[in-house]
Amino acid sequence: MHTHNSLRFLPACLLAVFLLTAGFEPALGQSKLQENPGGYHGELDFPWSWKRYYSYAEWTQMMHDIQDQYDHLADIESIGKSRMGRDQFLITITAKSTGAHDTKPAMWVDGAVHGNEVNGIMCSLYLMWYLLTQYDYNTFVHDLVNSTTFYILPGLNVDANESFVSFPNTANNPREPYRPEDNDGDGLYDEDQTEDVDGDGQLSNMYKEDPEGPLKLSDDGRAFIPISSPEEAVRRFIRIGSEGYDNDGDGRINEDDIGGPDPNRNYPFDWQLQAGWPYTMSEPETRNAYEFMRTHDNIFATFHYHNTGRLIMSAGPGGVEAGAQAQQATGPYGMGRGQQTTAEQRLAQMREENKYAQYFERTVAPEYRHDFDVQTEIVTMGARILKNYRPSISSWRGTGQAQVNSYGMLGAYAYLIELWGSPAFAADINNDGRVSTEETLLWIDTELHGEGWITPHPVQHPDLGEVWIGGSQKKHTQRTPPARYIEMEAQKNADFVMYVASEFPKVEIDEIEITPEAGNLYWVDVTVKNDRVFPTFSDRDNELGTAIQDQLNFSSSGNVTLVEIPDGMTQIDPGINASRAMAVGTTTHEFRLRGQSETTFRYLVQKSGGAGWVEVTVDSFHGGTAAMRQDIR
Amino acid sequence: MNQNRQKQGGIRLLGLTAGLAACLLLVSVQSVGAQRVPISFGDYHGYGGTVDYIQRVAREYSSITELVEIGRSTMGRPIYVLVISRMNNGTTIDRHVELRNPRREGVNNVTPMKSYHGKPGIWIDGGTHGNEYTGTEVSLYIIDKLVSGYGSDDAITQLIDENAFYVCPIVNPDGVYNSVELGISQRQNSMEVDDDEDGRINEDGPDDLNGDGKITSFRYPDENGRFVIDEEDPRHMRQLGRDEEATAQRYSVVREDRDNDGDGRRGEDSERGIDVNRNFPEGWFNDEPDGKRGGSGYYAASSPEARAILEYFTNNTNILLVQSFHTSGGFTYRPFARWPDSRIAADDLAVLDQVMGVKYKELHPDEENPDRLWLPPYRGDRPYGFGIFIDWAYAQYGAFSMTTELWSWSRDTRGLPGYNGENDRNIWSKALLDYQETAFDGEIFVPWQDYNHPDLGRGQIGGFVGTYVGGNALPGPSLEHVAEIHWQFELWKAGLLPKLEITEATAETLSNSGGTRIVKVTAKVENSGQLATHRSGGARLAGNRQDAIWLIGNRDRVEYLQGGAWQSLGTIDGVMDIPAAEGGQGGGTGRRTAASAGQRRQAQQMPPNLPPQFRQQWLAQFGGGDQGADDGNTREVTWLISIEGNSPLKLVLTSQKGGTKVRELTVR
Repeated sequence: MHTHNSLRFLPACLLAVFLLTAGFEPALGQSKLQENPGGYHGELDFPWSWKRYYSYAEWTQMMHDIQDQYDHLADIESIGKSRMGRDQFLITITAKSTGAHDTKPAMWVDGAVHGNEVNGIMCSLYLMWYLLTQYDYNTFVHDLVNSTTFYILPGLNVDANESFVSFPNTANNPREPYRPEDNDGDGLYDEDQTEDVDGDGQLSNMYKEDPEGPLKLSDDGRAFIPISSPEEAVRRFIRIGSEGYDNDGDGRINEDDIGGPDPNRNYPFDWQLQAGWPYTMSEPETRNAYEFMRTHDNIFATFHYHNTGRLIMSAGPGGVEAGAQAQQATGPYGMGRGQQTTAEQRLAQMREENKYAQYFERTVAPEYRHDFDVQTEIVTMGARILKNYRPSISSWRGTGQAQVNSYGMLGAYAYLIELWGSPAFAADINNDGRVSTEETLLWIDTELHGEGWITPHPVQHPDLGEVWIGGSQKKHTQRTPPARYIEMEAQKNADFVMYVASEFPKVEIDEIEITPEAGNLYWVDVTVKNDRVFPTFSDRDNELGTAIQDQLNFSSSGNVTLVEIPDGMTQIDPGINASRAMAVGTTTHEFRLRGQSETTFRYLVQKSGGAGWVEVTVDSFHGGTAAMRQDIR
Repeated sequence: MNQNRQKQGGIRLLGLTAGLAACLLLVSVQSVGAQRVPISFGDYHGYGGTVDYIQRVAREYSSITELVEIGRSTMGRPIYVLVISRMNNGTTIDRHVELRNPRREGVNNVTPMKSYHGKPGIWIDGGTHGNEYTGTEVSLYIIDKLVSGYGSDDAITQLIDENAFYVCPIVNPDGVYNSVELGISQRQNSMEVDDDEDGRINEDGPDDLNGDGKITSFRYPDENGRFVIDEEDPRHMRQLGRDEEATAQRYSVVREDRDNDGDGRRGEDSERGIDVNRNFPEGWFNDEPDGKRGGSGYYAASSPEARAILEYFTNNTNILLVQSFHTSGGFTYRPFARWPDSRIAADDLAVLDQVMGVKYKELHPDEENPDRLWLPPYRGDRPYGFGIFIDWAYAQYGAFSMTTELWSWSRDTRGLPGYNGENDRNIWSKALLDYQETAFDGEIFVPWQDYNHPDLGRGQIGGFVGTYVGGNALPGPSLEHVAEIHWQFELWKAGLLPKLEITEATAETLSNSGGTRIVKVTAKVENSGQLATHRSGGARLAGNRQDAIWLIGNRDRVEYLQGGAWQSLGTIDGVMDIPAAEGGQGGGTGRRTAASAGQRRQAQQMPPNLPPQFRQQWLAQFGGGDQGADDGNTREVTWLISIEGNSPLKLVLTSQKGGTKVRELTVR
């Protein structure tokens, strides 16, 4: 993962150190700070409607326009072209005044790797818009954009994305990149796709009258419903399938739709032929995305937007075959070995304090324990921010899925978000947690003012004679939310991404304490800490051998010299167990700072003559740099 | 980039003697051939010469060839495949099925099939490892034999009429270019790799220190050296035996090279990148909890060269036989390099070892030890390698694949006076020293000349030019000998490909009322080729399918009453009696059956809402499994159709790897 020297973090961080030590307000201060939660936060600085979906031409133009307006915070580039030649535009967001994008830890966000899951595009665009428009108004966003880089690829599978938005489709298609595939084994490729037979701009279902059919029209004529008794004397129907023609004359309809392999089974980690045909990274769309990730080793975490079902799937070492020393993961709330309570009891107990608490019963190898605990904590907050989303730590075996690949190949913390889902929160009247057809219709009639339903109507079909088309929801009432819910979904998802980025590691030096030993010898105790949830690099990065260790550097005035004591754990106060420190006898020492942890290092120095000083710097690839100087009198 | 750059240090021409000998040797084969693009094997062609040759062949033989650029190397050099097949007699299913009412969106992602996609294919490649260019030469030799034999040799003509030969002489252009044109041996491609992990890339490759255009050797006196100047022939550096005492001055002999970056090492970071033959997605892994990995590159298919091959195969699904030429050692190995034989279907193992392997040993006699000619690469419990091309071609693509390590200097040397095949490199080298003065105009040996080496001090530069005297067949009679054997093997293998025919087709009117006839159509299909239309289980692989036969008429007038527009035929066996296998997956059947070939579709429940007019067809396709399963190399298929008025009828038999055949029908 790391091919660059970690020293390239230095300039930005030294600047920050200088500004802080000099006691200035950063010159990059917020011109329009808004501390009133009821005040204006910049949303009209770049007006944009979040209550509709956009064509490829529209949303890529919007990316260019917003980059143009905020060019001190954003750059845009094409990372490559799709199979049909569309550019895959990626926007890079970070405050250029605080350093170049590749000198800061970065968040990768991609949307709609599955062509039909275009609410991922909206969520990605929203995050971009929010970061840029809020930068001057909101301290949290300001700090985040100063310290972090966001690489956002709103639409990954742009050919299918564009088809889904701009042409008649079911909620489920098109899903794959446009590599031709022979789905039905007849020797022809993509030869029998769906068609909008009645020309109403929607892709619904086809029914045909059949004396043995199991269905009838409902009394209000809006849906086909099962026949209740065999004796019932009504017009009977059978369901044929989605709207379409028999293009190749084989008697089947829509049996070889456009598109090839599942792009989210195409990534190299744990790739398998039957799921990821034809070969690893075979699709230009996925390959361009992964090549960008692979060659930007400052990427610390990745988000991948999908639908549907409201899930947070974090990639982690779940399901790893633990060795003989495997321990039970404790999670942030801890559960010792041998305790008698079950996971459910433990979770119930935890939820008395925090209803969003998560506990995953999993066997995890010791070298991956920290990642497991970190992910548990992150997704617990995810459940809090996203409300009715269900978190999980997904399997180590991902059969070529992007998020497992990010973790497995690159050592980046990775999250797959299944956006949206059933509108139970708005439509479930009997409170059974599900939405029946009747409830759906009522929801469409009230919340959507009748939009979103296709009433059955007869149409002449060239292959089938008279068919009835309709009795289904339109595409943006199912896997993608209706317009009015887009922003609700996007806003809380942006909140979660920003929360995760705000927990990227940050090294600090808490204090340097000088304690005289005998004669002209002094103990120098340096406490280094990382208050963030994430460690300075993941367990996986460490195990891959690609991690760059954190570095502690010691320097001093000419009259102070370091005594070469052997490295090893020691106790500052022999009577107090907690006063453990790592004794260091060399000017450069490598270590790793875990999440929410501090470590004390102990040097022994010898001073000659008058006053002198020692200085310690910490240099971390993802966690930045910190420095502190202390005089010895 | 100038692909035809004059190579440095190449020999000008094969000496007259060897050239004449070669002509005489081959005269019987070539007498009727029309060699419109002359080629000789007195020198290596390198990348430039190869491209030049195949471009000329493609121009001269345009009715039986197509030159395809399948991708570009890391340095931007085109990777070419020369397809050899008669271009005007093939057909494919997409030319026969009329498509109606397409989506208005009009996405144009499907390109028309090539005519040769309707024929069984055989793949031949060389130069995957850049310094193993004997494979390139053998590929060119095979191209020459095929195109110049077309129209004069009946067997060759028939093979080109009925099949598609895919020849890729250089998979790794950068490696071959550097190895041959520049004389810097490079197995890998040229992806940027910091070989010595010093933060710099390609900063220390080999050097032509004396500026003679050749990379040879540097020898210098060294009391721990392993060489002495040969007593009989002072040009020859004789390697000392293990415990041999030397009375003469001892020398070390190293490559002509210096330490360019001052790190104390020479040539440790040349342009070499990754091993393309470890970059394929079979057996490549990076998924152990402790970060262990197998295979080369950042991920499988990360190299442009491997990706070009994979993409081309994905778009040319008709290839059933795969031959990859490497060097050296003089033997062939078949899959798996990564897995034990228990992973190979037993019938395939028998075809590979007991049919193809036996033939290979016949063609390439080694009286001392014939078994060393044909090897399973996986020995005991040790994989030979990860991410190997032929493993992918067999496991994921479904072809019978093998790699040949061409050239054994002791067994394959021909036309070298004073050398009788003795397994003694000193004898061989000294015989070559004399011979090369006339045969190679003295160009492959550089007399030792004093040189003051910047890192190693005084010594001499000279010795054999590594391009010619390393792991590659000596140009001239030796190379032609190796090429001829392997041409014969490919010729024989191509003869094993499936040969599908619709042997009988009848359309019989059962009743006629008011201009609408009920017609029974019967078709008989036979595979008279040796091999089945898939390797065992091949039809089940993603991207593959079973054989099918379409009955096509006027869509407005024909209705299918029994049997749909197309019916699945499973995998049609060949006529080969497959020997009982020893080992392999599933145990040997002794005779291929359709069951072992695998059924892609299981019998399913009919969907309750299926319209009546589709039910018969559904049953034919899904309900009862495949028609004619277990019928060996023949199938009989029937339809019942109604025809309103008149309609032309035709049958189109379409097999992914067995070819496409059409037969018109007349209704009786």
